[in-house]
Amino acid sequence: MPAVIRAKCIVVGDAGVGKSSMCQLFSSDGAHFPKNYTMTIGAEFMIKPVVIPDTQDTVELYIYDSAGKEIFSDMVIKFWDHPSMVIVVYDVTNESSFSSCEKWLERVRSQKPDLMITGVLVANKIDLDQRRLISPKAGKELAHRTGLDYYECSAKEMQNVDTPFYFLASEYYKLYHEKLEMFKACVA
Amino acid sequence: MFDLALSEAGAQIILATSSDDKYPPEHMIDGKDETFWATCGLYPQEFVIRFTSLVNINSVSITCYNIRDIKLEVNSDDSQNFKTIEQKEFQSSDSAPQIEDFSFGNVKAQNLRVVIESGYDHFCAVYKITVNGTAVH
Repeated sequence: MPAVIRAKCIVVGDAGVGKSSMCQLFSSDGAHFPKNYTMTIGAEFMIKPVVIPDTQDTVELYIYDSAGKEIFSDMVIKFWDHPSMVIVVYDVTNESSFSSCEKWLERVRSQKPDLMITGVLVANKIDLDQRRLISPKAGKELAHRTGLDYYECSAKEMQNVDTPFYFLASEYYKLYHEKLEMFKACVA
Repeated sequence: MFDLALSEAGAQIILATSSDDKYPPEHMIDGKDETFWATCGLYPQEFVIRFTSLVNINSVSITCYNIRDIKLEVNSDDSQNFKTIEQKEFQSSDSAPQIEDFSFGNVKAQNLRVVIESGYDHFCAVYKITVNGTAVH
């Protein structure tokens, strides 16, 4: 029987940047894009299995799509114990959503300061090219400085939304195998 | 007194919350030091050992890695009513396994449940669990 590895994936960022759109699109395999805006209250939870290429194994992502509105911040933090990975999302047409990214990342990382938590920075709404204010260069720089991998996507155009999730699942799978080697080594 | 939690002695793992076929929970009770059960992510994690009969537990020893908060519970019948007999925070260890011993007066048990409530990393390993005691006659 193939192994099932489980990961808690925390999705954060300012309100309205498209976290819920990304999560719903990804977890429904592109079948569901929320056409109307519904503000997330607390956190939305979904489970999405990702089969790791060239293996029989699966990484199950337990996705916590967190409310971006500051008024819910005390509430959402309660869902974040034992995070395995983090996705920080911003809207390329919204400067303040970009400058909030570090704050969001810090909040998640402070849950487990001693632990390495893999994460990605996602620039959403790249379809709005005319209104774009945050350049890819600025995004990449922030990602580099904060130890994240950088991705661009458009949830509306269903473009590249899955990639950051797949990347995180595969990194987590690698990490599991590294730890197994460590478990073996420490009794060898 | 002998090790009640050996598969050779008839003990069984009747539940475990992680199962990677290469690192199954049975590795904890196979009597070997180097084989282990790996947790596959998320907390809490738990496993339940069922003894061949009702037993008196005198001590429990666990060899593991990356475990932080742990809880031992027993029941003396097959009900879901587990009673906590020990709760502890383990110290982290660098490149050697954590070895922890617990002593008890006489605790009657049919099943032993071990709950790993948190860890020092995303994944934990349990190499071995030994339960010393006697069968209740």
